[in-house]
Amino acid sequence: MNQFLRFSILLLPILILLFFGKVLLVDEDTKFKNFESKSFPEFQLNDLNGNPVKAKSLDGLKLVNVWASWCITCLVEHPFLTQLSDKNIQIIGLNYKDSDTKAIAWLQKHGNPYLFSIYDPRGDLAFDLGVTGAPESYLILDNQVIAHTQGEMNQAKWDNIFLPLIKKARQRS
Amino acid sequence: MNKKFLIFFSFFVLSMPTFNQMVYEFQDSLQEKRFYSLISEIRCPKCTSGSIASSDAPVSRDLKKKVYELILAGSSDEEIKVYVSERFGNFSDYRPALEGANYILWFGPFVFLSLMLVIFFLKRRV
Repeated sequence: MNQFLRFSILLLPILILLFFGKVLLVDEDTKFKNFESKSFPEFQLNDLNGNPVKAKSLDGLKLVNVWASWCITCLVEHPFLTQLSDKNIQIIGLNYKDSDTKAIAWLQKHGNPYLFSIYDPRGDLAFDLGVTGAPESYLILDNQVIAHTQGEMNQAKWDNIFLPLIKKARQRS
Repeated sequence: MNKKFLIFFSFFVLSMPTFNQMVYEFQDSLQEKRFYSLISEIRCPKCTSGSIASSDAPVSRDLKKKVYELILAGSSDEEIKVYVSERFGNFSDYRPALEGANYILWFGPFVFLSLMLVIFFLKRRV
């Protein structure tokens, strides 16, 4: 009995260490990987040029990227988004709490990787999507949101979170 | 001299936080009570922890405004929580769901405590 006690007293710190190790050393992308897909919220908004956006434009495989001219990290991820659009990834911008004139000027200055940008000055669509700030990215497959990342989009996040889903989607179709 | 003082003190009055904050007006005190308990029960999506009540992040401001609007529109507490978690995920709820690995969270401490008690009493008998 005494031996069992000694053993269990030794075992306890090990268990505690394992527990905290598991909690603390968790892959940062895990929370993005556990995303539950949901349908893209309904909305009635224009693009930056003032034309109404049709729900049909979200058919197929699309990357929806939340951006704004006031957002510094958006500028950081901008070259990567340009690379993606060069590789024929279809990106739709969601211009978040911005003014259209500033947004258009920003795109003229830095280049436009987007097919078009949905103009959401009050952040209504962004709220329904669950945007917590810019930049964020959503992977859309036929009007379903299948993945979501927060913060700068980069190669690592792309390869780790979005690319496996894109491959899966392409295999199916 | 008096005029200078008046101008000086008017700076203090005009910079009072009330001028800067969104003021929520309710139809009755029950609504107000529900509002304040709800915003302290919804986690700020932009923060490590902390409720939207304690946060002034833009998304928390939007969330508080939405909770306010929903209360005035007659939504129940449960409906509001579902509304928020549909958009911002289960992360927004402080009480983790009773499923999967969360069983450790919910029952781990009790198991741990009973184990300690067992060891304690066994040790005393020796």
